[in-house]
Amino acid sequence: MFLDYIQFVLAPQMVTGLSLGMAVVLVALGLTIIFGLLDVINMAHGEFYALGAYLALALGASGVSFWLLIVIVPLLMMPIGYVVERGLIQRVFNMPDRHVTTLLLTFGLGLVLEEGLKVVFGPTTQRPATPIPGAVEVMGVILPTYRMFLIGLGAAIVIAVALVVNKTRLGAMVRAAAFDRNMAASLGVPVERVFAGTFAFGVALAGLAGVLLAPIYSVFPTMGRDFIFLAFTVVIVGGMGSIAGAVVAGLVITQIQALSSLVVSPVWSDPIVFSIMVLVLVLRPQGLFGRLGHG
Amino acid sequence: MFSIDQLQVHYGLSHIIQGVSLEAAPGEVIGIFGRNGVGKTTLMKAVAGWVGASGGAITLDGQRLDGLTADKVCHHGVGFVPEDRRIFPGLSVEENLKLGLMQRKGRSRAEQNREIELIYERMPRLAERRRQAGTTLSGGEQQMLAMARIMVGQPRLALIDEPSEGLAPMIVADIFAIIKEMKAAGTIILLVEQNVDGALGVADRFYALERGAVVLTGNAKDAVDRARLMDVIAVL
Repeated sequence: MFLDYIQFVLAPQMVTGLSLGMAVVLVALGLTIIFGLLDVINMAHGEFYALGAYLALALGASGVSFWLLIVIVPLLMMPIGYVVERGLIQRVFNMPDRHVTTLLLTFGLGLVLEEGLKVVFGPTTQRPATPIPGAVEVMGVILPTYRMFLIGLGAAIVIAVALVVNKTRLGAMVRAAAFDRNMAASLGVPVERVFAGTFAFGVALAGLAGVLLAPIYSVFPTMGRDFIFLAFTVVIVGGMGSIAGAVVAGLVITQIQALSSLVVSPVWSDPIVFSIMVLVLVLRPQGLFGRLGHG
Repeated sequence: MFSIDQLQVHYGLSHIIQGVSLEAAPGEVIGIFGRNGVGKTTLMKAVAGWVGASGGAITLDGQRLDGLTADKVCHHGVGFVPEDRRIFPGLSVEENLKLGLMQRKGRSRAEQNREIELIYERMPRLAERRRQAGTTLSGGEQQMLAMARIMVGQPRLALIDEPSEGLAPMIVADIFAIIKEMKAAGTIILLVEQNVDGALGVADRFYALERGAVVLTGNAKDAVDRARLMDVIAVL
C-alpha cells in the first residue's frame, strides 16, 4: 500500500515538481543574472517569457520544428533584449532613483508587451502539441517523457550558464562589471556592451523557457504575469543575483509546492510558498546565497 | 606626452577642480600633493574617465581623453590604481590579473600568458596565491595585485592613488620600487601620496593643490622646492 503510494502518487508528483522547478529556474536564471549585473528588477521578464512562447507558437504553426525553435527563439529574443537595454534602460540608468525608475519602466514595458500579445494573437489560450509524447518507466514509476527531457535540458542549461559565468574570461568580465563597473571599465571591460549583452542573454533565457514550457502550461497573454510571481519568489529566496541561489531555491520551492498540494491541499500550496518568501525577507533579506560578482 | 589644460570638474554645484594644468613626459613621475579634500583623487578620476570634466582638456600623445568613457580612456593607454585598490571579490588573483590584459588589444594568447608569467616572476606571492580570491590577500598583496593588474596592460600613463596607505614600511618600499621600474620602462606616472618623503624619492616633479587649484610646482630633488612644498601642505 505504502509502496503503491510512492510509485503512483508521490514519485510522479515529485517529478512534476522537479520539471516545474527546472522551468522556474530557467525563468529565474535570466531574472537573477539581470539583477546581479545591472541592479535592475526586470518586471517585464514574465512578458519576455510569454513572447518566447508566442514566437514558438507562430513559428511552429508555419512548420518550424520544435528542435529548431529551441535555437531560433532565443536567438530572436537576444536582439530584442539588447535594444530594450540600450534604448530604454540605459537612458534612465544613471538617474538618482534608478531602482524605482527601472522597475516602473520595465513594469510599463511588460504591460505594453502583454497588451500587444492580446492584440496580435488574441486573448484565447492555445496549447502546442507535446513535442515528445509518451512516457517512460523508471523503476516502476511511469513518467512523462517530455517532462524528463525538460529536467535534463534545464540542468544542462544551468550547468552551461554556471560554467560560462564562473570559468571563462567573459564570465570574469560580467562578474567584475557586476561588482564594480568603474574599475572594470578602467581595465578595458566594455561595461555598457557587457550590460546590454547580459540583459539580452537573460531575455533569451526567458524566451527559451517560453518555448520549453508552452506544451505543458499552455500559451495565453497573461502567462508571464502568472509565472513570474513564482520566479520572483525563487530569486528573492535564493538571493537576488545569485545563480546557485536561483537553482537551489527553484528546485526546493517547487518541491514544497508539489508536496504541500499533496499532503495539505492544492489551495494551500501558493500561500505556503509565498509565506516562505516573506519569512526569508524578514529573517535573511539578502536571500540564502550571495550576489553575482560579490564573492 | 601627457597634459592637462585648465581642467574644471564640478560635483553638482561644488567646483572641485578649478583650472588645473600640468604636463608630463614619458618616464616622468609626477607627485600630486595636498591636504585631504583638495581634489587630488577627483583629478585622478577625471583623467581615468570616472568623473566628467566640465571644462578644459586632457591629452595623451595628442589624443583627447576628456569626454571619453573609462574603458575608452583605458584603451588609450591609461592604467588606474585607485586609492582603495578595488580588487574584485568574486574573482581569483589570476582572474583579476587577466582582466588587466584587456587594457591592450591585439596581443596573442602566448604574449598575454608571458605578461602574466613576468608578473609572477616579479611578484612570487601573487603566483603562490593565483587561485585564491583576490580579496583574501593581505593589504600589501592586494596593493601589489592592483599594481600588477595595470602593469600587464603596459600603460603609457599610470594613475596611482595612495598606494602606501595602511601598508607596512617593507611593502611600501616594494611599491615604490615597482613605480621606479615602471618609470624606467617609460611610463608616465601621476602619483597621489600622503607619504610625501617616499613619493618625493621616486618623483621627478610635483604639483601641490589647494582648493582644487595648483598652488605650487617644483622639482622633487630640489631642497628649496621641497621645503616650499612642506610649507604648503603643512606636514612639518
